[in-house]
Amino acid sequence: MNWQHVWLVFCRELRDQFRDRRTLFMMVVLPLVLYPLLGMSLFQIRQFLQEKAIRVLVLGIEHLQGVEPALVEGGQFAAGLFDDPQRAALVELVDARQVAGFEGAFSWAQKREQAKLAVQAGMYDAALYIPPDFAQRLAAVREAMKARSEQTKHSGQPASSAEQPLNQSPLLLSAEPIASDSSRFGKGVGQEILVPKPEIFYSTATERSQLAYARLMEVVERWREAIAARNLEASGMPVQAARPFDLQKADVAEQTAFRGAAVWAKILPVMLLLWALTGAFYPAIDLCAGEKERGTLETLLCSPVDREDIVVGKLLTVMLFSMMTALLNVGAIGLTGWLLLAQLPGVGAPPIWSAVWLLMALVPMSALFGALCLALSALARSSKEAQYYLMPLLVISMPLAIWPMAPGVELSLGTSLIPVSGVVLVLRAAMEGNGWQALEFLPPVVAVTLGCCAVAVRWAVEQFNSEKVLFRSAERLELGLWLRHLVRDRPPSPTAGAALACAVGILLLKFFLTVGMSNLDNLVFNVLVSQLAVVLAPALFFGLLLARSPRQSFLLRWPHSGWKGLVPLGAAALLAVVSHPTAMLVQAIIIHLYPIDPAVLRALKQMESTLCTDLPFWQVLGLMALLPAVCEELAFRGFILSGFLRTGRPARAIFYTALFFGLTHPVLQQAIAACAVGMLLGFLAFRTGSILPSMVFHFTYNALWLSLAVWSGQETVESAGIYPWPIVVGSIFLSTIGLIWFWKWSAPCQAMSSGVLEKAKPFVFPEPLEAVSADMAPAPTSTCIDSDPCLKPECKT
Amino acid sequence: MIRVDRLSKHYPDLRRGEVVALAELSFRAYPGEIYGLLGPNGAGKTTTLRILSTLLQPTSGTATLNGYDIVRQPAQARRQIGFVSASTAVYDRMTAWEMVEYFGRLHDLEEKVLRTRMEELFDRLGMQEMRDVLGAKMSTGMKQKVSIARALVHNPPILIFDEPTVGLDVLAARSLLQTIAELRQQGKCILFSTHIMREAEKLCDRIAILHRGHLLAEGTLEELRQQSGQQDLEELFFRLIQEYEENRQLAVGA
Repeated sequence: MNWQHVWLVFCRELRDQFRDRRTLFMMVVLPLVLYPLLGMSLFQIRQFLQEKAIRVLVLGIEHLQGVEPALVEGGQFAAGLFDDPQRAALVELVDARQVAGFEGAFSWAQKREQAKLAVQAGMYDAALYIPPDFAQRLAAVREAMKARSEQTKHSGQPASSAEQPLNQSPLLLSAEPIASDSSRFGKGVGQEILVPKPEIFYSTATERSQLAYARLMEVVERWREAIAARNLEASGMPVQAARPFDLQKADVAEQTAFRGAAVWAKILPVMLLLWALTGAFYPAIDLCAGEKERGTLETLLCSPVDREDIVVGKLLTVMLFSMMTALLNVGAIGLTGWLLLAQLPGVGAPPIWSAVWLLMALVPMSALFGALCLALSALARSSKEAQYYLMPLLVISMPLAIWPMAPGVELSLGTSLIPVSGVVLVLRAAMEGNGWQALEFLPPVVAVTLGCCAVAVRWAVEQFNSEKVLFRSAERLELGLWLRHLVRDRPPSPTAGAALACAVGILLLKFFLTVGMSNLDNLVFNVLVSQLAVVLAPALFFGLLLARSPRQSFLLRWPHSGWKGLVPLGAAALLAVVSHPTAMLVQAIIIHLYPIDPAVLRALKQMESTLCTDLPFWQVLGLMALLPAVCEELAFRGFILSGFLRTGRPARAIFYTALFFGLTHPVLQQAIAACAVGMLLGFLAFRTGSILPSMVFHFTYNALWLSLAVWSGQETVESAGIYPWPIVVGSIFLSTIGLIWFWKWSAPCQAMSSGVLEKAKPFVFPEPLEAVSADMAPAPTSTCIDSDPCLKPECKT
Repeated sequence: MIRVDRLSKHYPDLRRGEVVALAELSFRAYPGEIYGLLGPNGAGKTTTLRILSTLLQPTSGTATLNGYDIVRQPAQARRQIGFVSASTAVYDRMTAWEMVEYFGRLHDLEEKVLRTRMEELFDRLGMQEMRDVLGAKMSTGMKQKVSIARALVHNPPILIFDEPTVGLDVLAARSLLQTIAELRQQGKCILFSTHIMREAEKLCDRIAILHRGHLLAEGTLEELRQQSGQQDLEELFFRLIQEYEENRQLAVGA
């Protein structure tokens, strides 16, 4: 890395960007003007909203006569029924007697239906129906209570009559007919006492109606309380009978400076990331795709500057712009909020020190987004094409930024390891005042973010090293021709593209079939379908369509000629056995990091117990160990791995294969574990050049878990961590030896370096070699350094 | 000097299958001479020059620029050359002076050396009055001058011109060719590609005729005339291409 060159490139790009008036305007002027304007209009809109009155139709006002206290006063709801008497104006009462269609000629049942329809049609936001017998029923209840209390006074035995305490009596609460007991309520009271049943009609389909409902309920509740108080008064009971305690609430946040911080802790981090991404995107387009389009990239590339220096110089520019955009926008939002929104109740000013935290998070996030945008922009042929990449990038990164805002998502080691989300969570914790917690999880968050950054930068550098990407010209879309070419000119083993298509196909099938079969109870059928139809079928389909040699595509080779081929098979089985405690340890760690949802755990348990109790053990083995071992290995370590290996980067090929393998597992914890095991399986397949050892390993591995589940009676996920630690340590040691043995054994590498294997042995593994000579864009020298060490001897020779 | 040995470039194409852009091209070009690559569009001229300027990787074969291998020592190889092509554009938002200065610094020139070198170049190319003109405001001829100044700023021993007169008017083209001829006198090794016979005839010491990635003939103008018995270069050129196409048809037929 020549830092002088990096600096030169950085300065030039910076000057270039600053000379673009539109960039400057979008970046600096717009946020400074936009947010204050938005804030002002928001303020106005809010006032506008607040003052809008809702219309409530009241049907049967005449039935309220004699009801104390009154619901309606002077044609409006009584002002005393509102918390703030001024808010009475926000509810407009429409008396049904003055509305056409509710005349006396109709029956009350008809009018009631009419009122319902009127609300449905949106003529009123809500309707209140007072039935004809309202006042009578209310009076009856009051009478009954009065009579009851008088009787108690006369008999002087309150205890015997109050077998059922009043506050438990359904008298006031229930609309059900109350079986009256003459001995309790005394003479003169009807056989049944019914509480009145007024009704509210509203519609959840419109927001206004919901608001009307809330406001109307507030009024009616208060009215009901007032009536209850009157009833109690009439029966000589204290009001406290209906209000046994008074609830006091106090917001302790008000005491500290964190008042209102909660709102900002949710808004500002998301805004920061959104603007960091947007701010990175547009300069990145200009710096790569734009330069490509204008032809100046070629000028730069034929100067002696290294590609890395160019990328880093450009990355610094993009980062700076991303940070400036984010800071200016978030600053403007914060300032607007501070000036305007702080006056609103419930929203305080954003805490000042949160700026420090935001600034700290901004640097790595800008670097990550900058590198991603740069790589995408380098990939694009033109700036128009690059613009198209913004949406997918947003769609992927925004859920990661917004998800941590969901209630219940908290900062833990598990969540802090998720890219982007971890940063948002740490920011949120810090802004809410949990600075120590934020500091505690800072190292994992920083490590993950820097790791992602490094990968993104490498990707960007690779784009600059790839002549295919740099000199891509516009091509015609010739689908038919392309498909014919795919089938006609298909290579012996699949290309990386074919492997990707197969992996995506499996994932899609998995998704649709899982959704389609979610309510199917037949487990055996489910397993068969998910293995044969979802995993094996696409692999075979693509394998036959897009590759000429099934043997090479699926690595259907004996690992070594003669009986020696048995050695790696045995070794694979042995490795599966000795690594089992390690695998359990890994599983336990995963579950510790990302605890399993109890509902999922129950479902898993049920599935396994059904299988294990319904079927004999050998059938369970066949279904859950042998079938996946054959199907999944053929698809993943066969077709997909051999396809990815053509890129000439074995480590990456193994990783991608494992990633897709993990993704096919629906439960997250299983997926992570599967990804880890997938890497091991990929390693075995790559080193031996054969699918068989990984099949043997897969079978043994699954069989061990199953037998353990059957014997211990526990669910496999739960049984993690049952081994004592000396065994675990021994297992790690032995597994390492096993891996080293496979590393050294390595038929394909020896074959490649000797170069005579083609004739001596039918089981060649030529994909990586081909890739180096033909497919690789960068200089062969750099390939030697970059790729797997196994390829090095070949390059030297 | 430029040494090109059996340089090939293949790339896959949907319609045509594997396309041979360059088939085992070999030649040598020496200091103080202008070596011309003459060929119709798609002959492989630009591919050759891009491979030499390390923008593309050869499928096979090697080339060295002043002894530096373009595959193994791309950065050093790039230091030996100044590359001017239709696709090496000028920055829109930079002035002529800034642009040349930027590339001078990328070549690690000392500030003092750079300054004298630039003044000299701007004088020689008659660019003093366009020092502060932004790239976006330049005419094609001005842009080409800036490109040449940019390619010459580090005083490279080898200069590569890829159809430099494309889009220039007669006056600008004439002055450009003159500049190139002057550079030869300074002892530069110049590689010059064109599809215009007149330019090749006037300027080049030796000419390679390329067609479909194949070298059809090579030598001084005299040698080419003797080999084919044709006096007119244009006639000679057509004859060679026609011959090649006929042979090719025969081969395909067979």
